[in-house]
Formats: sequence, structure tokens, C-alpha cells
Amino acid sequence: MPFSNLPLLVYIYQIWEEEGIEAIETWNVGEQQELEGDEESKLSIALDINSTCAKVAFFIISKSMNSPTPQFVPSRLGIYEPIHQIGIWGENFKSNGNPNTSTSVIVEVDNKLENESETTSHEMLTASNNYKQEASKPIDKIQRRLAQNREAARKSRLRKKAYVQQLENSRLKLIQLEQELQRARQQGLYMGGVLEGSHIGFSGTVNSGIAAFEMEYGRWVDVQHRQICELRTALNAHISDIELRILVESGIGHYFELFRMKSTVAKADVFYVISGVWKTSAERFFSWIGGFRPSELLKVLVPQLDPLTEQQILEVCNLKQSCQQAEDALSQGMEKLQETVSSTVAGGPVDEVSYIPQVATAMEKLEALVSFVNQADHLRQETLQQMSRILTTRQAARGLLALGEYFHRLRALSTLWATRPPEPSLP
Amino acid sequence: MQQAIPYKSWPLPCIDATSHRARSTTTLGHNGRGKDVLNIVSENAVIVLARKGCCMSHVVRRLLLTLGVNPAVHEIDEENEAGILNELGTICKGTENNKMVQLPAVFIGGRLFGGLDKVMATHISGDLISVLKDAGALWL
Repeated sequence: MPFSNLPLLVYIYQIWEEEGIEAIETWNVGEQQELEGDEESKLSIALDINSTCAKVAFFIISKSMNSPTPQFVPSRLGIYEPIHQIGIWGENFKSNGNPNTSTSVIVEVDNKLENESETTSHEMLTASNNYKQEASKPIDKIQRRLAQNREAARKSRLRKKAYVQQLENSRLKLIQLEQELQRARQQGLYMGGVLEGSHIGFSGTVNSGIAAFEMEYGRWVDVQHRQICELRTALNAHISDIELRILVESGIGHYFELFRMKSTVAKADVFYVISGVWKTSAERFFSWIGGFRPSELLKVLVPQLDPLTEQQILEVCNLKQSCQQAEDALSQGMEKLQETVSSTVAGGPVDEVSYIPQVATAMEKLEALVSFVNQADHLRQETLQQMSRILTTRQAARGLLALGEYFHRLRALSTLWATRPPEPSLP
Repeated sequence: MQQAIPYKSWPLPCIDATSHRARSTTTLGHNGRGKDVLNIVSENAVIVLARKGCCMSHVVRRLLLTLGVNPAVHEIDEENEAGILNELGTICKGTENNKMVQLPAVFIGGRLFGGLDKVMATHISGDLISVLKDAGALWL
């Protein structure tokens, strides 16, 4: 074979001029050694022979990912269209003496073409003859086209590099997130059904009180859900008041259980309770001293309780007012606590290095926060109890159902929000 | 009514200066003893005993103010706290039997009423106003 010394796979595409691109045939020329470097370095060499004869394009391909399986079919050289139709562009032509680089190959090809003009064993020789004759004329054109090809090849490669880089980064990030998730799950930190990235960070502080609460709260939510379904079924089935009373009592008791749990974990870490991270995001939106505002709960409940007697309406009205007053008093107490802590921390000279006394005093003051959480829960508990005194059994059942369903929907809202499609990033 | 503490009854129609005056916060000095505290308690229809700078006493006071009552607030120094609580504990055998007096402590009508818990619960159940009226802290 003519180009037997070429260390490359050479695909020779031929295109007949009149008929456009005909069947593309290739042949494997020479030994198959691969170019160094793992990037593709397809080169197109358009030798514009500018004759009615063949314009030969040599695509010298090394480890190209897109390269098709070489077909070892002998080809013929004929007349064809310029090569820029076939957009495979290659590496810079840098003559560095490496026998595996394109330059030398091309040179070799050129040489071979020239050299082989003497041999007669192949049709290609005709073309090479022609090439030899016309070689001098279109050198400029050739050079220009080569340059264009190089440029395009470089751009393409850069684009590909950037894309691969992006993919790699995303992959690493994904692995990282999966690991964090695994860790968090193992520590039992299951936050209300929705794991939000911003909170995974605190899984590092393994506080056993918090971990225990997390598990218990997860179970609490499940039981809550079950109770709601039971209530719904019971109300629709019109069971007796006595049986309904049992469900109501256990429903109310379930809330009291939550307050007990919160009291325990507040002693371990009051900031944890107040921050509301143990709740879903929509629930957290309504957070007031580590839970719901009792007056808000009443607003949710009361419309579901119609019809109410005149007496009941009056009592509910009084309850709403009392709740509001108690909440205001607690809120003002919280503000006072904030002021106290703030002034304690900020106090003393700032040009002294030691701030320990200020911080230590502030810590003592912060302990009042536990009382606030307890008082707030106590208020919630008292409100629930007063409501159950005012209402009939059936009304209380409907109220509990309404309340439970409300929280259930808020949790669903949180999940929906967390899985909403991301906003398109800026280009 | 328990008679553990001497309690002066206030004639209702008469606007008694003591119950109506906005008594400023008093602090017992280093001589503070349980007996002095009891005197003060008995002189006021509503008084809140609290530690200095306690935010919870602020809450109680705010709540009572909303209802139209301006309670006296008596701050207790830390060093006197234990002694005073002891005295109060032995003397005040209110409805909560043998419970340690928690601060802030609310005294209504010269009698230990309870802590913030009790005040809140009574308020929510709607009974607080009548209790205050009975003690002469509120009228109308």
C-alpha cells in the first residue's frame, strides 16, 4: 500500500464533483499507531488541487471518540467537492519533529503522494500525478484552509473540555451530597419529610437529645396522620358520641405528648426548638416561640365548627381575646430578653481582649429562653383544653380533624416547594 | 380563705390609695427578710415577686396591665432569694400544697396565687378577671 509508513489511520473520503458526496469509502492505510495524547486530533487536510481531478481530503484520525469503525475498503480517488463540507477539524499543526504528529505525516503524505507518482499499482497514482502538477498553484488556499480547520478544531476542543469539566464538577457535587445524606440519615435526622440542604450542616453536632427528639417527632407525625384518618372515618360513619370522645381525648393527648417532648429537648438545646428546624419550611414560616400561635390555630379551627350556639360564640370570642393578650405579653417578654442579652453582650469596653464576662453573663440570661418555650407550649395546651371545654364532642372531633389536616397540608406545601423546578440560571 | 398572712380587707367602694397607687418597684435591701416581704405582700392587692431583671416578671406585668391592673413588682436580690422563698414556703400554704414557691410569684389579695403558669391558665379559662375583682384589684 502506498502510505505504508504512515503511523496513523488514514481515512480518505472522496467525493465526486458532479454527483456530490457519493458513497464514502475509506481505507486503512499503513500501520495503525495512535497519536500521542488522548485528545482527538482529527486533521483534515484539504489539498485543493484545483483541477478537474481529484481533490483529496485526508482525515487523519487518532483516538477520536466519534470515529466510526474503520472500514477497510479500498477507495478510489476521483473528483470531489471541497472538504469544508465535512466539518472535522484538527489540532494545530506544529512542526515539532515528532514523527507522530500530523505535520510530518502530512509531509509524508505529500511526499508519498509525490513519491508514489512513479508507481503504477494504484489508481490513486493518477491523482497523485495530478496533485504533483498542481501542487504549487493552490498552496495559499491550502494553507488558509488548514488554518481555518485548525481554528475550528481548537474551538471545538475547548468547548468539549469546558463541558466535560462541568460534568465532572456536577458529579463530584452529587457524590458529596449523597454522602451527607447518608450520614444524616444514619444519625436519624429526618426533618419532617423534607431534607433541606441548608440544614444538613448541623448534622455534625450529634446531640443525643436532639437525635432522640428527631426520631420521636417522626413517629409523632405518623401517629398524627393516622389519627386524622380515623377521625375522618369516624365522623363520616356517624359513630356514637362516647366512641368519638375516646378519639377526641387521644387526639388532644397526642398534642400534649408533643409539648412534653419539646420540653425535654428544650433543656438539651433551646435554640434547636426555637429555630424550628425540626419542622417543615412552611410550618416554620408561622413559627412563634418554637411553635404555632394559639390565636392562629383558633382562626383555622373556628370556621370548621359551624354551627355554634350563641354561648359558644361568646366563649370562643373571649378565648380569642385572651389568647391574643397572652401572646402579646409573651412576645413583649421575648423582646425584653433580646434587649437584655444584646446589651449584656455589647457591654463592657471593646478595646479589651477578654469578653468572657459579658458572654458568660449573657449565657445565664439566655436560660430564660427555656422558660419562654415552656410558657408558649403551656399557652397552646391551655388553649386546646379550653376549646375542648367549650365544644361538644362532635365539634371537638371536627376541630381536631381541621387542625390536623391544616398541618398536613402545610407539610405537603413544604414538600412541593422543595421540589419545585429550579429557576433558570443566567447564561 | 387561708389566714396564714394577716390580710386587710379593702372596702370596695372606697378607692383605697394603696390598691390604686402605682407603686413603683421596690427592692429589699440586704436586710430583707421574709417578714418584710410578707408585709409588702399584704399591703398590695396584686404584687409580683421576682428576681432582678427577670423577663418573665415582665410578661406577668404586661398581661396584668392589659387587664387594667397595675401590679406592684418587688424585686428580690439573689442573696436574699433563698431565705425569702423559704419563709414564704413555710408560711404560704395555699391551694398548692407544699409546692416550692417559684419566681416570679404572684400574690393576689395577700395570698400566693401562683406563678406565670397559673396566671396564664386562669386567664385562658376566663377566670382571672373575677379573681382580680374579688381581690379588689379590679372593679367594674
